[in-house]
Parts: sequence; C-alpha cells; structure tokens
Amino acid sequence: MENKEYQYAESPFNVSRRQFITIGGIVVALLAIPIVWVKYLATSRNDYILARTKGLYRDDEKAKIRVSHANPAVAQYYKDFGGKPLGGLSEELLHTKYINRTKGLS
Amino acid sequence: MSVSAKTYQRGEIPGVIAINSSLCKGCDACKRHCPTGAVQGMFGAVHNIDVDRCLNCGQCLINCPFGAPYETSDAVDAVIAKLKDRSHTVAGIIAPAVRVAIGEDFGMPAGSLVTGKLYGAMKKAGFEILDNNFTADLTIMEEGSEFIQRARHAVFGEKGEHGTEIGPLPQFTSCCPAWVRFVETKYPALIPNLSSAKSPQQMAGAVAKTYGTKVWGKGANKIYTVGIMPCTAKKWEASRPEFKSAYEYNKQKGDAGAVTPYPDVDVVLTTRDLSRLFKKLNINLATEKEGDGGSLLAEYTGAGTIFGNTGGVMEAALRTAYAVLTGEELKPLEFKKVRGLKGVKSASVTLKDSKYNKEVTVKVAVVHGLAENIAPVVDQVLAGRSPYHFIEVMNCPGGCINGGGQPIQGGGSSWLGAVLPWFAWK
Amino acid sequence: MHSETMILKHPLSVRIFHYLLIASFLPLAVTGLALYFKPFAEADMNLLMQIHIVAGIILSLDAVAFFLIGFERVILFIKRMFAISINDVKWFSVLGGYPQKFLFKKKVPVPPMGKYNSGQKLFGICVLIGGAILIGTGWILWAFPHNLPRAAVAFFGNLHTFFGLLLTLFLPVHLFLGIYMFDDFKAMIMNGKIPYPEAKTMAPLWVEREIMPLK
Repeated sequence: MENKEYQYAESPFNVSRRQFITIGGIVVALLAIPIVWVKYLATSRNDYILARTKGLYRDDEKAKIRVSHANPAVAQYYKDFGGKPLGGLSEELLHTKYINRTKGLS
Repeated sequence: MSVSAKTYQRGEIPGVIAINSSLCKGCDACKRHCPTGAVQGMFGAVHNIDVDRCLNCGQCLINCPFGAPYETSDAVDAVIAKLKDRSHTVAGIIAPAVRVAIGEDFGMPAGSLVTGKLYGAMKKAGFEILDNNFTADLTIMEEGSEFIQRARHAVFGEKGEHGTEIGPLPQFTSCCPAWVRFVETKYPALIPNLSSAKSPQQMAGAVAKTYGTKVWGKGANKIYTVGIMPCTAKKWEASRPEFKSAYEYNKQKGDAGAVTPYPDVDVVLTTRDLSRLFKKLNINLATEKEGDGGSLLAEYTGAGTIFGNTGGVMEAALRTAYAVLTGEELKPLEFKKVRGLKGVKSASVTLKDSKYNKEVTVKVAVVHGLAENIAPVVDQVLAGRSPYHFIEVMNCPGGCINGGGQPIQGGGSSWLGAVLPWFAWK
Repeated sequence: MHSETMILKHPLSVRIFHYLLIASFLPLAVTGLALYFKPFAEADMNLLMQIHIVAGIILSLDAVAFFLIGFERVILFIKRMFAISINDVKWFSVLGGYPQKFLFKKKVPVPPMGKYNSGQKLFGICVLIGGAILIGTGWILWAFPHNLPRAAVAFFGNLHTFFGLLLTLFLPVHLFLGIYMFDDFKAMIMNGKIPYPEAKTMAPLWVEREIMPLK
C-alpha cells in the first residue's frame, strides 16, 4: 500500500485564499475573453454582405428613375437601333441558347 | 488546368479556379461552400478542383482562410496594354455590385457607394463606361417581356409572333453564369425553363460592338469590351464561343472590319482585378473626384442597380411586369418580400392583366446560396409541382454583392446559416 | 529492498493526467508535423489527420477533466510556474548545469530551486498557455473553419502552427531530461514517490517549505 511507503507529502496549504481567488480569477478571465471574441466574430460575419446590400438599395432610393421601362437611354436604344423587346434584332443580339453539358464536350 | 475537361466547349476557359497545393491545409472549409462538390481531396490532404463539376463561382476562393484557391485567368496586364493603345476604345462594363465594394480595396468601409469615384477612376485609366445597370434595365425589358409572353401563353393560350415556340413556366432567370452552368451540367431538363435572355454582361458586349459604334464613333473591331464584375464565373461566361453575336451581325451587315471573329466581351476583370489595375496605374479610387458616365450607355434606373442583391432582379422585373400588365406603376416600388438573406424567399402579386381584363396571381420565388438552397426548388420544378411562375436564382449567398470576384473581407464569411460545428472526417 | 525515506511527489490523479498527456501528445506532435509538411499521399494524410483528431479529443478531455476535477492543483501549478525570481535568471545563465554535466562531466553550482526548476517552469508556462491555445484553436480549425471569418481562422491556424512547433521542439528536451533524471521518471511514471535525499539536492526550497511528515 502506498501509504506505508512514503514518509513525507506536500502540505495541503500551499495557496492562500487570496492567491487562489486572484489566480483563479485571471484564469477564468483569460478563458472567457477568447470565447466572447469568437462569439462576436460569428455574429458579425455577414455584416459586410448586409452593408453592400444596403448600399445598392440606397442607390435605388436616390435614383431619379426607378423602373426599367422608364429609362430614356433604353428607350433611345430601341428607337435608334434595337427595335422592340423580343423583336428580331433582340433575338439575334440579346438572346441565346443553352447547352446540355452532361453528354461530354471537348 | 484539367487535361480531360469534358464539360467545356472549345474556346471556353476550362476552369477559372484552381487550388495552390502549397497553401492548402486540407481543412475542408471550401467544401462546405461549394455548390457541386467540385473540391476533391480527402480531409487533411491537399485539395484540388474537378473543373467539370466546378461552376467557377469562386465561393471557395473568397472563403478559404488560407487563400489557397486562385484564379487561373488574369487579364489585368492585357487590359492595361489596350488602355494605352490609342487605336482602341476600351469599354468597361461595370456591374452593380462593383460600386458598393470596390471602395473596400482602397480603405473605405464595406458597402460604400462609390459610383462617381469609380467612374472618375475608370475615366482616368482610359476606359469608356458602359454601365451594366443600363443593360440590366435592358435585360428587364427583354426578360420581363419574355415572362409576360410565357405567362399569357400559359394562362390565356396566347400564341407567339411568327409561331415562335414559347417557353414553359416557371421561368428561371439566366443572368447568373454559375447557375446557368449548374443547369447545363446537372439539370439539362430545366434548360427550356431558363430565360432566353442573355445576362446583362453579355447584352452589354453585344450592344457595345453594334450600337456602341455609333455612341463612341469607333469601328466594332476597334472596341475592346472589358467586363468588370464581382464574379469569377463571368470570366468563363465571356469565353463561351457562341457569344460573338455582334461580330455575326456586323458581318451580315457587310462591316469591312468584321474579318476575324471577335467575342462580344473580350475579357473580364473581377472587382479585385480592377483594384489591382488602378493601383498599377497609381490611381487611388478613394481620393478620386466624382466623374460621370459619359454617355447614355451609363444611364440606369434604380431597378437596374438592385440587380446585385438577391431579390433585386425579381423586384426590378416585377416593377416593370406589373406596369406593363396593369398599365399602372407598382406602389410602393419597394417589394420587401423578395429582399433579405433568407435562402428561399417567395411572394405573390395579384394584379389585373389589362389586356385580358382578368385578375391573375403571379407567384415568384428568389433563391440564393445555391449550395444550401437550390435542391428543393429544382426538385419541385422537375416533379411538375412548383407553385412558382418566375424564379430568380443567384449562386452566391446574398447575391452578386458577395460574388467570388469581390474584395476579400477578412472579417466576413459567406456562411448565412447558423454557426454549427461540422466534424470533417474523410 | 532498502528502506529509503520517500516523498510523495505526484499523486495518482496527477500521474493519470500525465499518462493521458503522453498517449495523446506524442501522436499529436508526430501527426502534427506530417500535417504541416504534408509529405505523404492523400489517403495517408487523411489517416494522419484522423489520428491527430482522435488524439486531440483525448487531450482536450484530459485537460478539461483535470481542470475541473483538480482545479485547486491547477491553481497551485500556475502559482509555482509564475513564481519567478533572480534565481531563475541565474539558473538559465548556467543552463541548470546540464550541458556542463553531459559535455564536460563538470559539476557547476546551481541556485536553489523549488519543486520545479527554472527550465521546468518555462516548459510549464509554454505547455499551459500553448496547450490551451492548441486545444482551443484545434477545435475551431476542425469544426468551424467554414463559418467563422476567414482572417480569424487564418490567425488561429497560425497560432496553432506556432505553438504546435514550439511544443514539438521542446518535447525532445522534456523527454530526454525526464528520462535521464531517473528518480523523477520513476516518480511520474511509476509510483509517485521520490527519495528524500534526491529531492533535497534538486529541489531544496520545496523540501524546506512545502513538505511535511505524515503522522
């Protein structure tokens, strides 16, 4: 049995109450700070997306014209050159066909 | 680049994204962001990208903590050379999302709206400006009209002009090239549902080299179009060989300059690329004076500019479709139900079709963050059970403003869902 | 057997804690180096990563369990690690007398030490702080690299690499001296007891001030 085989041991009173509270407090604080910081990182991670989103909606709010069909430049394009939406020239220049890529292409 | 790329046409960039093996830690973070499982390599080992599965969206690139994915295509020096070439007009096609993000590369806070400074900086660099918001408005005219045509055909049996075949509902938007590639490589059965309208970028290229010749007074073969996009997939989109509509049109019209085929969009720079270009030319966007667009090709409406946000295309389309169908403007113009970061948003609008004098209810959906959110929506459509008539799809969480080509935000993550642990193993 | 006077230096709870440290940290260090340099093929790297993670889980559970169950001993340990004085500077200036002993067979005088000598205190601080950081960053790197901001994850990755390399470099020193000082080796690995004369020589301040005889 171990008890009979050693004659000395550490005395149990090697940390005073004050030291215990101080050191314990520092340890807990040093553990809590990174946890709080990581929580902040997680909650703020999409902020930049929201900021950019807001920027574009602001661009819309301050625009003088806010609907595509009232854009005079677009109207000019159709008048000078484009014809009308879904018209022949639009089919040629502004519409396209897609490709089935599941069969393998080179 | 993959030796055996099987899903790319001749002439396309066979994979815009690759992984730098000396930086990759094998942590699997990128796999969580990839919509198609294109990232290969076991957990703990160096990863690489299967270009045939890859959509070129760049979400892996902007989210990798170690900066391992990189772009295989860099046109900055080529564009600088063309800017210095007096014989060419270099037209910069600026996406909406660029103007609320490029400031970040010059020390400005995220989301700063810097349109004027961007114009000024681009003018200083030697660009002519073709605002992609102008072509966004054009896209609404074309795609909105197409939707009305499909809807009136489905509801009232209306036939197309010259007996043209009319596509089925629901109609999917087609401005996101990663989404288009997703359909083409995984769900070709949905191809008829895709809007036939090109993306605003590609419309811009076609317009630049036809109508633009009149605006800038230059021959089409002397106009060099540069897409400036928040998106890495746009580099691949511009390289699609069928996108030389301007050349074909000009050749048909007997344009002497239409000898060697030229693409509608010559090259694409991401927002990050443009920032690098400015810095190479010693242009500090943050201190630039406000410039103006310079021509009608830079005039846009509020509807065009919101294209960069998830729900923006839908809102813009609704504003116009409502007006065309009912003869009245939508009030209020803000369609809040399609805004926000929820993965799948839906709304319905009841309106009176003034042509047929009947009330119809249009059901729309908006999907973004392809990786997490597209599966149930697509499954419903394939099963014929979709309740929607018009669906906007953007690959990137939040929309193009969070695209793979945007300035890297160290304090940010594309992850929109709850921050839960994922215990990678194999 | 001779009956030598013995001091109980490491009770059973401490020895168990340390056994688990050995079982987890050695594989962690070896696999950690491989994961950093990535010299092997894909399937092997994956296996090494799996070993790294299992060992990391054992280390984490061991550390957390001891922290909770033996919180008082943890505080005492910290108090001893950070009890720094001019004696520690003097100890380092002769490197504890070890190089002289091994290389020149010379015995040099060393300032009186407590339970842990200055080198052990330095190692203890590194292990305490480094270990905590490795455990914390390790879990984040495994479970959250995709949904926390990328710059933060990169920073945690750098911390993990730095402290991992630091502890891995310190490890051979610890292993060598820990085995060479054979009485201490027996105390930590076998029965927890150290002979009184040995302790008086190596840790006189501890024996004077913190040891008491059993009734």
